[in-house]
Amino acid sequence: MNFRRKLLAVFTLTVVLSVAGVALLVSAMTRRAFARNEDERSAALRAQFQREFDAQGKEIARRLEAVATSDPVAHMAALLNHSSSESAGYFDLAKSLAENYELDFLEFVDANGTIVSSAQWPAKFGYPETAFANLTPFAGQPSFLKQEELQDTSVLGLFAVRATRIPDHPLYVIGGRRLDKNFLATLNLPDTRVLLYQNQPDNRSAESLIDPSSIDPSKAAHTTDKLIPLINATREARAEMTAIIHWSSDAADDEMFHAIPLRGKVNSQPLLGILLIGNSRRSYVELERRIRASALLVGGGGIVLAILLSSWAAARVTRPVERLAQAAQEVAAGNWSARVAVEGNDELSQLADSFNRMTAELLNQKERLLQAERVAAWRELARRLAHELKNPLFPLQLTVENLLRARQNSPEQFDEVFRESSATLLAEISNLKAIIGRFSEFSKMPQPQLQPTDMNELLRGIAQLFRAQLQAPGRKPIESILDLDENLRQVPADPDLLHRALSNLVLNAMDAMPEGGTLTLRTRKKEDSIVIEIADTGSGLTPEECERIFTPYYTSKQHGTGLGLAIVQSVVSDHNGTITVHSEPGKGTRFVIGLPGNPEPSRPADAQQARVIDSGAK
Amino acid sequence: MKLCGFQWLVASSVLLVALVASADTRPQYGGTLQVSVREALTSLDPTDTTQPDSFARRNLIPLIFETLVTTDDSGHIRPLLATSWRPLNGNQRWQFRMRSGVKFSDGATLTPGIAAASLRLANSSWKIVSDGDSIIIECDVLCSHLPEELALLCNAIVKKADDGKLNGTGPFHIADWQSGKKLVLSAEENYWAGRPFLDAIEIEFGKGYREQLVSLEMGKSDLIEISAEQSHRISTASHRSSTSEPLELLALAFTRDAQSPEEKSLREALALSIERASIGNVILQGAGKPAASILPDWISGYAFAFSTETDLTRARHLRDEVRTASPWTIAYDPADPLAGLLAERIALNARDAGLQLQPTKSAVADLRVVRIPLLSDPVMALAKVAASVGLPPSQIDSNSAEALYSAERELLATQKLIPLFHLPVVYAATPALQDWSPRLDGMWNLADTWLARNPSGSINP
Repeated sequence: MNFRRKLLAVFTLTVVLSVAGVALLVSAMTRRAFARNEDERSAALRAQFQREFDAQGKEIARRLEAVATSDPVAHMAALLNHSSSESAGYFDLAKSLAENYELDFLEFVDANGTIVSSAQWPAKFGYPETAFANLTPFAGQPSFLKQEELQDTSVLGLFAVRATRIPDHPLYVIGGRRLDKNFLATLNLPDTRVLLYQNQPDNRSAESLIDPSSIDPSKAAHTTDKLIPLINATREARAEMTAIIHWSSDAADDEMFHAIPLRGKVNSQPLLGILLIGNSRRSYVELERRIRASALLVGGGGIVLAILLSSWAAARVTRPVERLAQAAQEVAAGNWSARVAVEGNDELSQLADSFNRMTAELLNQKERLLQAERVAAWRELARRLAHELKNPLFPLQLTVENLLRARQNSPEQFDEVFRESSATLLAEISNLKAIIGRFSEFSKMPQPQLQPTDMNELLRGIAQLFRAQLQAPGRKPIESILDLDENLRQVPADPDLLHRALSNLVLNAMDAMPEGGTLTLRTRKKEDSIVIEIADTGSGLTPEECERIFTPYYTSKQHGTGLGLAIVQSVVSDHNGTITVHSEPGKGTRFVIGLPGNPEPSRPADAQQARVIDSGAK
Repeated sequence: MKLCGFQWLVASSVLLVALVASADTRPQYGGTLQVSVREALTSLDPTDTTQPDSFARRNLIPLIFETLVTTDDSGHIRPLLATSWRPLNGNQRWQFRMRSGVKFSDGATLTPGIAAASLRLANSSWKIVSDGDSIIIECDVLCSHLPEELALLCNAIVKKADDGKLNGTGPFHIADWQSGKKLVLSAEENYWAGRPFLDAIEIEFGKGYREQLVSLEMGKSDLIEISAEQSHRISTASHRSSTSEPLELLALAFTRDAQSPEEKSLREALALSIERASIGNVILQGAGKPAASILPDWISGYAFAFSTETDLTRARHLRDEVRTASPWTIAYDPADPLAGLLAERIALNARDAGLQLQPTKSAVADLRVVRIPLLSDPVMALAKVAASVGLPPSQIDSNSAEALYSAERELLATQKLIPLFHLPVVYAATPALQDWSPRLDGMWNLADTWLARNPSGSINP
């Protein structure tokens, strides 16, 4: 990843994290505000429900009072005060009065607790009212909740008790309204629905839940299934509880339900029922969604804008750096004249100016170095030439001086001396020609003719060629080891040039082992290239020798020209390969040649790079 | 002594007032009697045995169709289309001499052959032949009560025309018939016993008791039915009410036979748990007579021998002897305001005995509240009750009270029926309906009634 992208990523990440942090903070604050608002609304609803409930209770008490003071009831009470046997004629009075006063429950109970007339269970006349002892103290009191037993079930109702004004044998009027769909529908609670769960252990839960808004039984069962955990929790806790009910996967359908346990007059009584006040969360959810959508839109837009601005800023900041890097790459590629435009006066401008001065200085130093190297090379060449030519010239001088001395001092022996001296002169001249030939050959190294070449086969041929010399009599034997990777594939190479280079290395190895030793020829595969190693166990090289060993005309031998290893390196380089030397004095030397599996034709720059010697000597 | 003019005038006035007064009490021809009944009759064919028996049917069908013999309110056989009868060969073969000069409503003369053909349609097991002015009926078994059986409505003589129209020999014929809604009967001018006083009778079906009462109060009906428990609330000042002897059996009928001794015990427990007294006092408002027998005392004379007392202790004991008792459903007619309340009360009583009864309006139930109209003839009444609960008629060889008692005991021992009450039939009529005195068995006898003129001189609005 380049500097601009890194800078862009840092900018973007900073902006995104900032936006996300702000969004989370705003979301949390919004949610908290919503929750607080919902709590307040719920509390208001509960208070409103309680007011409505109380109002219904007062209305029931008022109707009961009206029934108790009505003429038929007064007449009946007066009659029963004298004779209880007269009750038969009034057994259906409760039903007709209940219809008139719109009551679901109405019973007339005499002073003995016997039902005279019952609207909700007309057939129960003459039976005792089971709750009579508990109910009579509430005569004249406000309304209360009570479980009323009917013929095949029991239902929850809001009841009141009144007594007629006959002191001796009062007639009790017990009545109320059933907490059913109609009752719940009369509660004036806008945007809210009220459900009633009747706590009847023997009833199926789906039938115990009264939902005024539900007509479909399957939906009622679904409602019950969803609410039953809240109902059970409220039954266990016997306290108000709140829960969000998820009706579907859409959160807008959720409802906040408040469960209010309903008890009778005595708290120790079992729970009579649970009122469930549901408040739709649709408005909240939709408002929350709108806020979230706006936040996402603003945040997303901000992020995109931030990315664009960051991109612009990063480009502006990194452009000088990129120019500098590009110039550095050009310098690295050999273009020492690369320059960076200097704009402004900031740190980057100073850096660019310094870079320009540095490259200029490097270019000057390079020129000076080349000049010095060129002088040194000429000097070395002159020294080598002088050295090489001085050796044959000295015998030539001595021979010519012998000829002159023989002609002057011993003319009779001149012919013999001339014959001997001529032979010597020819030999030395031949030697001079050989020296000149080698220099000429070095200057005329041919370009490699690449063809698929089996390196193992090449090494086997070289080993075969030198086998006789390695075991030649008169010298210490050298053991030859071929360690070849048989899985090598053919590589494009010039077999003649490589044969010549490798033979040169083998000859050097033989020269390094006058006392005998082991010569190892090894091949192996390394990634996409192959490696050829020529190792001996001879005297080894010093680190200084290793550094200079591929320098032309450098030799550690008494009679070497110093061109052998330079030629080897030249051949390897022309194959786009590398050659390194690893050696330690007294332990031997190992030349490692790396050849590419599919070498491209060498270029001048590549060739120059390939000539860099990796001195791996320890 | 010579009368002066003034004295002549006074004498003439007194005579005129006397004549007018006597004219008000003389039967008058004309007028249409408006009748409302609760029953919704869907067939007027007396031989249609699929129709439920009801007092409305019993009262209306004889106005159109007549039987060979009839019964009076004491259950005695009286001649009608047959003038005399006698057994020919023991009690298996009977001869009935037919009345002459009787015509059907289509003008055809009643002949023994037509009567025999009509009876054969209703009684396929009998051999019926006409013999001169008589018909001979031979039963496959001894039939000592054949005259009583021939007095039943299903044995009325019917002449079916080719177009399906039904013709009878009664005092009225069908003028308009809307099944289940309305029936208009017109007086038969050539009725063999003399033209009835009324010109027509219009009967409206399917009217509830309350609706009938309103209709009577508003003068839209002249004759209505009253539910027994409401009879004490009828104002006697403006209307005439008539209450028959207890003629209707209110009972619980099981839909199947008892399958085990345990079930018999449970049925007995149920019978013992019912508080007939309080039900009679409160729900029936004293109009019904608690009953543990099928026949009321005025018919059988031995109904007192069947105890109607509640024995909750014994009922619980019987219930406890049975390990498990599955709940029963008790069905009632939702159109009957009394039946629902009765079913609920009985379920409440049963609960005290440890039995579970669930009242239902469904047609399928373990037992049901039934109303069975009885006949004044005890043998026929028992046979009818037995048939109504799906039992074969008891064989009663003699008319003795012992034989009757034994047959009734036998019928109750099947435990398919728990008698609850004997109810009277109550009617109310406007004061304009004259010479109307329903019989003890609840029959109207409308052929002899007439409508008094109102002060304006018209009989009916």
